[in-house]
Amino acid sequence: MELMELTQRLSGLSGPSGFEADVTEYVANYLHPFADEVNIDVLGSVTAWKRCGRPGAKTVLLDAHMDEIGLITTGVKDGFLSFATLGGVDPRMLPAREVRVMTEPPLYGVVAAMPPHVLSAEDKGKALSADKLYIDVGLDQATAEKLVPPGTPAVYVSSCEALGEHQICGKALDDRACAAIIMKAFERLSEKRDLNVDVCCLVSTQEEVGHRGAKVASWTIRPYKALVVDVTHGRTPDATQVVCQCGKGPAVSIGPNINRTMALELLALAEKNSIPCQRKAEPGGNSGTNAEAIQITREGVATALVDLPLKYMHTPVEVVDLRDMDACVELLTAYVENMEV
Amino acid sequence: MLLDTMETLCCLDGVTGGEDEVRDYILERVMPHADAIRTDPMGNLMVFKRGAKTPDRRVMLCAHMDEVGLIVTDITAEGYLRFDQAGGVNPQILLGKPVHVGAQRTRGVIGCKAVHLTTQEQRKTLPPMRDMYIDIGANSREEAEKSVSIGDLAAFDDTVVRYGDGFVKAKAIDDRAGCAAMIELLEGELPCDCWFAFTVQEEVGCRGASVAAVTVEPDVALILETTTAADLPGAEGAARVCELGKGVVIPFMDKGTIYDRELYNTLRRLADENGIAWQTKTMIAGGTDGSAVQRSLGGVRVAALSVAVRNIHSPASVAKLAECEAQLALARLFLEEMAK
Repeated sequence: MELMELTQRLSGLSGPSGFEADVTEYVANYLHPFADEVNIDVLGSVTAWKRCGRPGAKTVLLDAHMDEIGLITTGVKDGFLSFATLGGVDPRMLPAREVRVMTEPPLYGVVAAMPPHVLSAEDKGKALSADKLYIDVGLDQATAEKLVPPGTPAVYVSSCEALGEHQICGKALDDRACAAIIMKAFERLSEKRDLNVDVCCLVSTQEEVGHRGAKVASWTIRPYKALVVDVTHGRTPDATQVVCQCGKGPAVSIGPNINRTMALELLALAEKNSIPCQRKAEPGGNSGTNAEAIQITREGVATALVDLPLKYMHTPVEVVDLRDMDACVELLTAYVENMEV
Repeated sequence: MLLDTMETLCCLDGVTGGEDEVRDYILERVMPHADAIRTDPMGNLMVFKRGAKTPDRRVMLCAHMDEVGLIVTDITAEGYLRFDQAGGVNPQILLGKPVHVGAQRTRGVIGCKAVHLTTQEQRKTLPPMRDMYIDIGANSREEAEKSVSIGDLAAFDDTVVRYGDGFVKAKAIDDRAGCAAMIELLEGELPCDCWFAFTVQEEVGCRGASVAAVTVEPDVALILETTTAADLPGAEGAARVCELGKGVVIPFMDKGTIYDRELYNTLRRLADENGIAWQTKTMIAGGTDGSAVQRSLGGVRVAALSVAVRNIHSPASVAKLAECEAQLALARLFLEEMAK
């Protein structure tokens, strides 16, 4: 499957943090033909292994997360669903927003928009917070109560399609675009016969609520080195201070949360192989990615962070550039292929 | 049939001032059934059909073809589109919505910097529309200009979804619901002669209807419209205006029109006699082409029948299908009454 199609398939699945089962199943099935072994852990993360066959081989880990932000219902009022947020939801995205309520079978719903005449003068021009909004599922109180118990998750409904010549736009590209990247890199690496390391492809759960899936999965995996692939903000007209830009290649992060040697190796490799690449300074100990958890797993893991620039993060219309994604697959594949132990 | 027609109409683009696609479709549908067809320099479409009787009073039904949307006002050096509203758009519903722009239907999205990059205060406020932009995936003005131009109209996403207990979500239900009802009437036998005015530019001040009325010269006009429903938790009492599920809306007054009392009473009586659920608006809000028609010529008697719509003027407008059917049924009864 081509990278774009895989990304579209992954984007279309419903898997907010803690409720990733459909994504887990899809990813495990996809990776199965290319792997020596596929496992699903207790938090739902998928690991696929490609063994190099060398005795005592060390493991390099490729990580991207499968969960997306979402909503979770808290009750029913006059047939409408009240809800809380799962992960960092921008409340300004919600009015008149289509959602899929993850009942069995799923229910279609629309976050109702309060008409302007009902808003107080003070609230006009303001964004309503999530606790003042409701999901309209077109049902009466009794039916809604029966079909949608409190604690039912929901995700945005958004198609994933081309935007302009090189970009694609959809929901959950944070971080399923990167999941697609490491899955394609793993697929390519699975064809190589002379690797020096075992390769583990981890598509992890619950990143958006604090890197929980990666924390426990990397404990089990015991990696020697890790390459975390996540998204970073791309520059937009209302965020001109942002350094990275879509279309200029993946960004290699440098800072305390990242192993400096690996970062420099990645940058040198990109230059040598003419892979477009950007540099990104990551000043704190916390990069806001799974690198935070993986770096301090067991006795510590040399961890690099490769970022895919993405515009409008945590909205239903996240935008990435396919050329950046291709370059990212190239860079990761070349890096693992050239690893010596 | 009515509902299929309405859904087809909702998928067409007719942002106010650019109703051509909608008019072309309607013209093709009604041509075989019409006894006379008029168009005018504004773009209105007026269709006459003979019925079983020719009443003393000339009757006109009226629905508007245009919908609210956006208009491109500038293209930035980086290839983003600045825009303004074409018709009254609730700014709350814009961020992160897909649109398609111009004749090539270029796909775009209304961007907004990520929530991570906002301050606490910014998160609670909406940027003014002049600071919003459409991203079409172009990297420069030159690249953008290959598919869009300043002045292009942009329409909301056009997927239609039926859901819940007989609800439908679509853009432009305001007022393709009324257009669909008129097409249905035109395609059947009529109790009396009737003019059908499919108007332009309602959303920018009922500009089309004001001239259509001059062409048709009606004595009596019935406006088939939609109206805002605020039937949500958090909206109480009269501010709810009307509620989906309570029936077709017969308004006595809105911000543009005090409707003819005799016709208002007639509509209420017809609904009651025929077991059609109806409600009226509990708040003097909104307006219809009735305002323009009423004050055209030497004055015209006007009434309106509206479908209650949630999230009106947004890509996710919601109506109850049964109430679209009720609007059509009551309009037909109204024509029977005019034939008497």
